[in-house]
Amino acid sequence: MRFKDYLKDKMIYISLLLFAVITIEILLIPYDIQIFIKIYVAVAIIVGFLIGFLVEYYSKKNYYETIKSRIKELQEEYLIMEVLPKADFTEANILEEIIRDIGKSMLENVNKYKYLQEDYKDFIELWIHEIKIPIATSKMIVENNKNEITASIDEELDKIDNYTEQALFYARSNTVEKDYIVRKIQLKEIVNASILKNKAQLIQNKISIDIKDLEEIVYTDSKWCIFIINQIIQNSIKYSKRENRQIEIFSEEKKENIILHLKDNGIGIKENELTRVFEKGFTGENGRITGKKSTGIGLYLCKKLCDKLCIGLELNSKKDEGTEVKLIFPNNSFINMK
Amino acid sequence: MAKILIVEDDKKLREELKIFLGKHGYEVIALEKFDNTIEDILASKSNLVLLDINLPYMDGEYICKEIRKVSNVPIIIVTSRDNELDELLSINNGADQYITKPYNIQILLAKIERLLQRSNASQVNQDKIDCGEFVLNVSKSLIEKDNSSIELTKNELKILHFLVLNKGKIVSRNEIMDYLWDSESFVDDNTLTVNIKRLRTKLEEVGLKDLIETKRGLGYILK
Repeated sequence: MRFKDYLKDKMIYISLLLFAVITIEILLIPYDIQIFIKIYVAVAIIVGFLIGFLVEYYSKKNYYETIKSRIKELQEEYLIMEVLPKADFTEANILEEIIRDIGKSMLENVNKYKYLQEDYKDFIELWIHEIKIPIATSKMIVENNKNEITASIDEELDKIDNYTEQALFYARSNTVEKDYIVRKIQLKEIVNASILKNKAQLIQNKISIDIKDLEEIVYTDSKWCIFIINQIIQNSIKYSKRENRQIEIFSEEKKENIILHLKDNGIGIKENELTRVFEKGFTGENGRITGKKSTGIGLYLCKKLCDKLCIGLELNSKKDEGTEVKLIFPNNSFINMK
Repeated sequence: MAKILIVEDDKKLREELKIFLGKHGYEVIALEKFDNTIEDILASKSNLVLLDINLPYMDGEYICKEIRKVSNVPIIIVTSRDNELDELLSINNGADQYITKPYNIQILLAKIERLLQRSNASQVNQDKIDCGEFVLNVSKSLIEKDNSSIELTKNELKILHFLVLNKGKIVSRNEIMDYLWDSESFVDDNTLTVNIKRLRTKLEEVGLKDLIETKRGLGYILK
């Protein structure tokens, strides 16, 4: 708030004041008073008001500026109503009341959606637990009646299972903190589990798996990690080439982190699309190839979950040569020491 | 024969599990009613329990806890709840293993075998399997015939073991690969061919020629 702007707001008072001073001066003309006194009256009135204005200006300026700076300091700006400064003018009380009312109504509104979302998430989780039973039963039936046809059905069942899993983790992705437990895990353990999840598809599509090392220990939630690796392997299967299909998986320990490489020799991604692969709903050129059915969800979810789990996620690719995904786990020497 | 009790309220899944485990040489019984589960489980005198968590009347975790108070029977919790917290809870309640639906069937089988071995009730997984013309020593990874023996690599042992388990039946290459993958050897087509070839050579070395026959387009058969 600048003083100039403040004075502009006070334009009516100032005009009235000037009008009053001029009127007084005109009324004083017929009287035989010293010119000094006549001027003094005018100046006194004007100076008096000016001081009044200044006092008011500084108290208001101080008040609003404190609010502004506090908002800046706050991470959650809407919490300002909890830290409003004390004011010595009435308008501030009105403002305070308004902010409080707005805040309250906003909170109610937000809570309503929060509740709706929770409710929806609970439903999805429940639904997914239900759908897993018929999937399990179907897989069991396939196992008891093994032939080429059921093997093909088995492959489709794995896809269904993967899609439901994706839905489950999508629903959970906003509340990672709630169901996640950090454990000491060997990379091999999570990689093998992810490969086994895709066994039917990998064998049917004749994709060879080349695993090296993976002896390193990481500290993370295995369920979430398996899901992430699973998504990456799914992509490698989906976008594989016609022949000599291969996925190479190896690890590398550095001073500050442990890197898990997942490298395929598939159809790759165009260079100008690389920056967008983690965007939600982005399918790119590969996604438009008939029969691939990209959803644009897999990598988006991976990125989101990796961010929450503090795992770095990098993707490099060359068109027609293949794609390499790196999962970068922090090497927590602090935990190691214990 | 080891006796496995299935506590699962989905009827179809229960039946399929019964067939599957029956095929693999276990005596399988299943609960049909769930109003008196704890007593029923204890009365069954089984060697291992496959326990679902979401059961009518009573929660599987509670059942597990109650059983642990009086019995040491191995318990595998089978559930569709897939998160670490539930797994931890189950283990804390005394479950020996935790497996999520839809489960990898071979892994389920492996876990059952391992638990039974630990409790010494298994007769399914023997150390030495008599295959008529030769003896497969699983624990030492050897083919034994008369007085001679020959060592097998990890993959060769697994392949031969699988063929022995399915003796007289044709097994497809995919089935063998499936079996190998489940025990975390992710072999590809070429490696499998090489392994089978080596296995044949080794069998020949102890005088067992043409034991593994190739059925064109179908797979292999152990005679």
